[in-house]
Amino acid sequence: MDAHLWISGVVYGLSMGSIFFLLAAGLSLCFGLMRIISLDQLLYYSLGAYVAYQVNVSTGLTWPAMLCGALAAGALSWVVERWVFDRIYAREITFTMITSFGILVAGVGAIKYVWGLVPRPMGIPVEAQVALLGVNVPVYRIIVIGIAGAVYGAIQWLLNRTIVGTAIRAAVEDVDQVEGLGVDVYRLFTGTFVGAGVLSGLAGALHGPLVMVDPQMGLEVVPFVFMVVIIGGLGSLKGTLVSAFLVGQVVSLGSLVYAPLAQMAPFAAMLLILLWKPTGLYGSALLRR
Amino acid sequence: MSRRLRWWAGILIPFGVLAVARWVLPLPFLVEVLIFSVYTMACNFLLGRVGFISFGQPAYLAAGAYGTAFYLYYFGRDPLLGILVGLASGWLFSAVVGLVFVRLRSDYFALVNLALAVIVYHLMQKVLAPITKGDNGLWFLDRMTSTPVLDLTRPDGFVWFAWLVAVAVWALYKALDDTVFGACCLATKTNEDKVKFLGYHDFKIRWTAFVLANTTAALAGSLYGVYFGFVSPEMASAARAADPVVVTILGGTGTLYGPLVGALAYVGMKDLVSGVVGNWEFFVGLLLVVIMLAGERGIWGTLEPWLRRRWAWRRPAPALQE
Repeated sequence: MDAHLWISGVVYGLSMGSIFFLLAAGLSLCFGLMRIISLDQLLYYSLGAYVAYQVNVSTGLTWPAMLCGALAAGALSWVVERWVFDRIYAREITFTMITSFGILVAGVGAIKYVWGLVPRPMGIPVEAQVALLGVNVPVYRIIVIGIAGAVYGAIQWLLNRTIVGTAIRAAVEDVDQVEGLGVDVYRLFTGTFVGAGVLSGLAGALHGPLVMVDPQMGLEVVPFVFMVVIIGGLGSLKGTLVSAFLVGQVVSLGSLVYAPLAQMAPFAAMLLILLWKPTGLYGSALLRR
Repeated sequence: MSRRLRWWAGILIPFGVLAVARWVLPLPFLVEVLIFSVYTMACNFLLGRVGFISFGQPAYLAAGAYGTAFYLYYFGRDPLLGILVGLASGWLFSAVVGLVFVRLRSDYFALVNLALAVIVYHLMQKVLAPITKGDNGLWFLDRMTSTPVLDLTRPDGFVWFAWLVAVAVWALYKALDDTVFGACCLATKTNEDKVKFLGYHDFKIRWTAFVLANTTAALAGSLYGVYFGFVSPEMASAARAADPVVVTILGGTGTLYGPLVGALAYVGMKDLVSGVVGNWEFFVGLLLVVIMLAGERGIWGTLEPWLRRRWAWRRPAPALQE
């Protein structure tokens, strides 16, 4: 097969993996710290895309529009955290999953009500192409990959170099102990949840120009994000990064080999990995509760 | 004798009321409630008895529906046989999938099932499009031959068939509660390690329960297929993945009549709300959140203790109550 096709396929897979990583990182962090499965992150993803689209259409700005999308998503996640999650942190995981699924469904309904059912095209910030090994690659995709890398670095820095990050890492191991040391863990929870919401919104805003913005976009990406989280192991940031790029490549290169494979191959990969390691690549048995 | 009578009365009274309602309620509404209650019963068993929560029920619904549809579209004409084929395909599908899924922890289980539903959706919509006709779906309403006694091709006959199926499913699940297997299911939900310690094969129990429940879901899919005479990938859509879970919780998780009450309330609400505003997803999601925050007992779970107290002063309560 044509080598050029493969190179652009790899870049496409990397940019897709970046979007998956931004979405899955928040989910994974929420699970690790609060032991919740927050399906409503996919609502913030859709909202981020829609707000970015709306700002883009009404002002013509592109990068600021994306920032608005991420901030709007963060604001909504803050409201949801205060009203809903604050009351159910102590409940078991499946309980939070059902509740957050309710939020997701309600939110998608609201988005349909406001913006209608028709998919909307969104303007791309950088239309330039750059030659990479003799293949023209859209610069925007490379920027997306760069942003994901920067976010990974920033989260790692936050977790490993700051006092807040130390508290978060300690709380992942034992919440009660950290609370006993006088740390207000609920503030940590709120911060992590809103951070995850901002990342999800950013993922949606960045993904908007690459696909059409439509009400089902959150639900469409659900299986891929969960594949990423499951393959990587719930609660592991490194695992999430590795599996995000893995799934991105499987989707992208798989579709080069045989088009319908794009939807099926990640699922097959996930089954194989789960058969081999039931808690994912980097998921530890420690996180059981 | 009287004990057996009382056992059956528990099922026949509510379903008798539904049968009488046949002359009051519109027919499509009743059929929808009956099929949906069977669909929900499967989820109720998984959630309330085995402790499995699955967001992938549409996958099993579609497995049954497509089994029936393939048979009726390509091979035969007999709707009864079609339902049997659907049942068999649902059994086969869940038996194979169950081997992998049952080993997973509950949170992974729910998410993997959701992924499965989306995969089945894409499979039916794109990958197998030459056989499934993609989004256009398979139409086989005029291919079905009428059956003796109850004519399944006519809604008038079908409603009684669906009624019989629902009663049979209820009897099965009620009987299951009294068996050792039923007790084992409940035990795996409560304490898995103890079940192993007592010498029961933990995997076998969960696998059997998984296959049983998802075959029931496939049965509901077959019924939908025969009733509409049409099957499309929309059946496996992830947008509907929450429905059975919502209805189970709405009715009251783990109670015998929860699925029936929930299905009645849900289908009724859907018809009413979509008639007024059209955007019923929003209300379903909101309702789910409200019920969860209000204590997750659901309609029947709240009603039952009250009814039991009203009942108690006239008749002594049965000796063995849970």
